[in-house]
Amino acid sequence: MSILKSIIEHINYVASAILFVIGLYTVLTHSNLLKKVIGINIIETSIFLFFVSVGYVTGGRAPIVEASGNHVYVNPLPSALILTGIVVAVSITAYALSLIIKLYEAYGTLDMDEIMEARSGQTNE
Amino acid sequence: MSSIHFPIYSLIILLAAAVAIPIMRKNFDGFMKTFIIAALVGAWLFSLGSLINVFNHGPHVYNFGSWTETIGVQLMIDEFSAIMAFVILTIAGLIVVYSIRDMEHEIPLQQFGSYYILVYILLFCMVGITYTNDLFNMYVFMEILSLTSCGIISIKRKKENFLASFRYLMLNTIGSLSVLLGIALLYMVTGHLNMGEVGKVIAEVWQSYPINILVSLGFMITGLSIKAALFPLHIWLPDAHSTAPTPSSALLSGLVVKVYIFCAAKILFRMIGQDIVIALDVPTYITYFAALSMIMGSIFAIGQKDIKRLLAYSSVAQIGYIFLGLGLATAQGFSAALFHIISHALMKTGLFLSAGAIIYNKGKRDIRELDGIGYEMPITMGVFTISVLGMIGIPGINGFMSKIYLSFAVLAADKPFFLFVILASSFLNAIYYLPIVIAAFLKESKERKNIMVLDAIPKSMIFPMVVIGVSCVIMGLFPQLVMNAIEQVAPTFLTLN
Repeated sequence: MSILKSIIEHINYVASAILFVIGLYTVLTHSNLLKKVIGINIIETSIFLFFVSVGYVTGGRAPIVEASGNHVYVNPLPSALILTGIVVAVSITAYALSLIIKLYEAYGTLDMDEIMEARSGQTNE
Repeated sequence: MSSIHFPIYSLIILLAAAVAIPIMRKNFDGFMKTFIIAALVGAWLFSLGSLINVFNHGPHVYNFGSWTETIGVQLMIDEFSAIMAFVILTIAGLIVVYSIRDMEHEIPLQQFGSYYILVYILLFCMVGITYTNDLFNMYVFMEILSLTSCGIISIKRKKENFLASFRYLMLNTIGSLSVLLGIALLYMVTGHLNMGEVGKVIAEVWQSYPINILVSLGFMITGLSIKAALFPLHIWLPDAHSTAPTPSSALLSGLVVKVYIFCAAKILFRMIGQDIVIALDVPTYITYFAALSMIMGSIFAIGQKDIKRLLAYSSVAQIGYIFLGLGLATAQGFSAALFHIISHALMKTGLFLSAGAIIYNKGKRDIRELDGIGYEMPITMGVFTISVLGMIGIPGINGFMSKIYLSFAVLAADKPFFLFVILASSFLNAIYYLPIVIAAFLKESKERKNIMVLDAIPKSMIFPMVVIGVSCVIMGLFPQLVMNAIEQVAPTFLTLN
């Protein structure tokens, strides 16, 4: 029971670890270029979840400081950092997708294995 | 004009130049060429100013916007970052001068503007990453660096370039994401992002959280070694560095991979601290991978036919030397690593630039076709030969001195096994580099027309190569010029906490 309880208490961390592994597996094993980009996005999401969970305080409020009252606030720094992280992630996704469009124009396929075959065929000739 | 702001000025000039290029002129004419060189010279002068300032008045920190280090971003301007920023800007300046003519046959003239935007943002990030003392700031610079370095590969718009930069982008992103995960794990323990503050907390509590720190270090070092192309994680490097336009290859191979090593050094020694890292037994594993990298990179290079691909594999081996120096975790090993960073940056830039000059003039990339080219391009092949001899470790060139420093460091750390690895790697270097030089100077070319001519390439391409060749020799004959400065770095770096 205690294991189950600790899993439920740290469900954010468990979920982010699982997502990280799923994402890494997708990037490394799938030969479809789009799926690789999706895998990268899953890894990014898992790390963002992890980072935001680090800053969460149980029962804390949104960090808007009021004059009255002595409240517990959630740590705002990780959320602010992850906002930057999301911007970086979006730009990387956009660049990767534009490269995929160019690769599709050049090779006529989205499959990494087929592209590698086409390339090795060219060099052998 | 207060001198503490010098590093910021050099950063701002680089960023402002990148912003100004697209809005100034539509065509890339003589004015634009003058402008980009002037901007780089400005940034270089400010980095020189901060270097002189650091050596006269000692290191200082720069809190951005006057926020305290617990809240804001902090730059650390000490001997290490001042020297390395100066080296980066010096070599980058030579490459940019070279690139103005060389890029003409790589990309259309309309894209020159975009190319220099990318290069200037790249330089901005490299200098920023060297100065910064903040983990998240480091991560952001790293991501911009990976985007721009993929950009300067894919700008050539060939099929291979798109594929190489896609691969590079994927692996680079995995690398920087695992660095971010490591940062998150450290933030969990310490609640700080400033390296100094993190170091202070860790020095007190590390015995309570050894596994957490070990996992976080593992993620960060793995991520950085993907980006720096340590052996099992190097698969993106040969494609990326060989298909890129020559100036981009020189920038990527000579400077960009080094910047990630600076990050690793900062994380290992400045932030976590020498004692804790040794207690966690991290450096031992780094030395194993470094030794593998030194041998395997050279073995892969032996079979290569394409000259730029050969140089790219040789980078994998040379990165191994640098990581070996870091992994020894002694002041001597660290200064040998820094010396090799500078000397490898010079030698590899010289090699790539002279290979690029051969491609520019002759259009030949295959090393079997280079017979007798020493008579047609004596200056180019002279620089190539100097750099090759340095790579092998012939006395009188800087590569020999860095190998000697590294060997002494290995012996002082009582790990004589790595001395054999260094020797074996040097012999392997000779196996794949020397045939090119011998073929170039001693064999006869098939279509040889005249006895001997001077290189038929533009002067602005010859000048940077000659400067690099001469500085390789100067650094080899008078290593104390550089080593005196570096020996001041190591103790401050290793005992900051």
